[in-house]
Amino acid sequence: MQRNQIIRTRLGWKLLDGIERLVSALWPARFKGSVGRVLLLPAVLLIGILVIGLGYMIEYSFHELDLSTYRLKDEYSLVNYAVIADRPVYMRVLNRTLLAALIVSVTTVFLAFPYAYMLVRTRSALTRKFLLIALFLPFFIGQVVRAYGWLIILGKQGLINSLLEGLGLPALNLIYNYPSVIFGLIQYMLPFAILLIVPAVAAISEDVELASEGLGANWISTFRHIVLPLARPGLIGAFVVVFTLTLTDFAMPEILGGGTTDFIASAIYDSFFQLSNAGLGAALSMILVMIGSVIVAAIFYLAGTGTLGVREQSR
Amino acid sequence: MSMILDTKTNRRTVLKTGAAAVGMLAMPSVLRAQEKPKEIIVRAWGGAWGDALKAGVADPFTEATGIKVRLDFTEDNEIKPKIWAAVDQGRVPPIHVNWDTTTNATISALRGATVDLSDLSNLKGLLPLAKPSGLEGYPLVNTYAYVYVCAYRPEAFPDGPPTSWNVLIDPKFKGRIALYDDGIGFNPISVIVGGGTFADIPDNMEPGYEFYRKLKQNEPLLGEDADFTTWFQKGEIDVACTISVNARAAKESGIDVAWTVPKEGCKVDTDGLWVPKGLPANEEHWAKEFVNFALTKDAQQKWCSMLGLPPVYPGIEPPADLVGDPSYPTTPEDFAKLVSVPSPVLVENQPIWFAKFNEIFQG
Repeated sequence: MQRNQIIRTRLGWKLLDGIERLVSALWPARFKGSVGRVLLLPAVLLIGILVIGLGYMIEYSFHELDLSTYRLKDEYSLVNYAVIADRPVYMRVLNRTLLAALIVSVTTVFLAFPYAYMLVRTRSALTRKFLLIALFLPFFIGQVVRAYGWLIILGKQGLINSLLEGLGLPALNLIYNYPSVIFGLIQYMLPFAILLIVPAVAAISEDVELASEGLGANWISTFRHIVLPLARPGLIGAFVVVFTLTLTDFAMPEILGGGTTDFIASAIYDSFFQLSNAGLGAALSMILVMIGSVIVAAIFYLAGTGTLGVREQSR
Repeated sequence: MSMILDTKTNRRTVLKTGAAAVGMLAMPSVLRAQEKPKEIIVRAWGGAWGDALKAGVADPFTEATGIKVRLDFTEDNEIKPKIWAAVDQGRVPPIHVNWDTTTNATISALRGATVDLSDLSNLKGLLPLAKPSGLEGYPLVNTYAYVYVCAYRPEAFPDGPPTSWNVLIDPKFKGRIALYDDGIGFNPISVIVGGGTFADIPDNMEPGYEFYRKLKQNEPLLGEDADFTTWFQKGEIDVACTISVNARAAKESGIDVAWTVPKEGCKVDTDGLWVPKGLPANEEHWAKEFVNFALTKDAQQKWCSMLGLPPVYPGIEPPADLVGDPSYPTTPEDFAKLVSVPSPVLVENQPIWFAKFNEIFQG
């Protein structure tokens, strides 16, 4: 009995030694410092696939559509970019999209900050629960459903116009226009902004605020000189995320815009699917990617490298 | 004992399987090509359109062949590049049969993505409308005609239906009119109502563009089939240019909608069926059989009656509610009152018209 146990123990050790040798062979000790890098691999692969797709898009953008075969011509040309430059409609749609992205980002961050602050600082568990539920509930309702919800509320026979009618007032055009698209987008983006601002506010120690007030600063001064600067990573992060999401949004303008307030994503969709012109769609996509990247890079440059809480390592 | 029995059974099974395999190899490829797949996938439009295809063609086809038919409601413009990519890359396409507009189907034929349907037995005796124009053979087969009518809310027209498309630029209906978001169905009509003639299409579309500029001032809504029904239902619009099927379906579901063909006429077009290249031989065979089945008298009668559209099978009576309706053309005289632009002209010019339409309405 005891002999069997000894044999089992020895076998167990041998098995463990074997596993260790196998692991050492597969992952030598000198690679141990690379564990972090290996864990990054899936993300790198994902981005790599995206880059490959982007490469194809760049390539397509330099080929003109042949209307006799509905295939892209083999020759490289700048025709698609020339078409975009030549048709003022694309510039108008692009300007409309950029303006919307700016309005939505500024408004959303402005509205999200007090919400996030309240969520972090409230001493009432009930209030925090309510704010958390109100924050996460919209995530369970898709963007399209929410947009249709606005049709019910803002439509000609919707809730608001019914109330106005009841009061003997004329009905208003509350939907199928640019303001209704902006309104829908703000409502859609608000939870994203709050989620990004909350960690930044939570990272500000309440003691710092108390110290400021203890040193004689009033609430406004504390807010301006302590809270806002310390919450900057969250505010910039929320602005960038909301800006890029709005810049590429498709559903809200499609549903709430009534077909006459297209954003650039609609123009890209039309090129790819309605016109079957992958070259033109790719060129529009490239322009959108470039504009978005330049703006985000400029924001990071102006806001400093410490933005989003990422610190430069000392060498 | 049981061992012996098992061995015998196994042996029998092996022998049976072997015989079947030998039989398969010996079977002529023509017969192998007719092996029934479990199902075929047909891309379709949803709502009243899909219901009609299911009741008129898909279910009877399943009854006749035992092959299940799955309807795929992917948007017609979105399935197109998926099929094209599959054909170009030598992959099996995502659907077996595409129910498509003739213009889109013609584009797919020009790209070489369609199977020739010339050998279908039921093509014989169909109306000339079934044959796609400007293409060799039958890379697609047209199955019915449809009309982009002037649909209106009778309550908004107490003096009777609108007699001219000029109603769309009447300030009385500002913000209460609707068109398709790519101008489809109205582009040729805009030329005529804008003071041009049919002969101006496609070389001189300026009268149409001028009409669109006036129309833009009247703040139209631009949308798709489903949007028109929602807008009429929610009281958002009083008048729209839409396919008669949508107007009829809305009326049948209790929405107060009627339709008319104004004096300038309406655009008449066709839809068709086509089979993408790249399917396994047996699946291609049964996909073609599905198309062939859709051209039988019974299928055409039920499918097209439900849609309220004139089929390509001759001699089928219109549904009772559409007898004498100008949106249901049956004779050459009926068609003469409508505006028909040949598919090759549409294929070549639609991108240009769409760009101009967009330029005017997105400005």
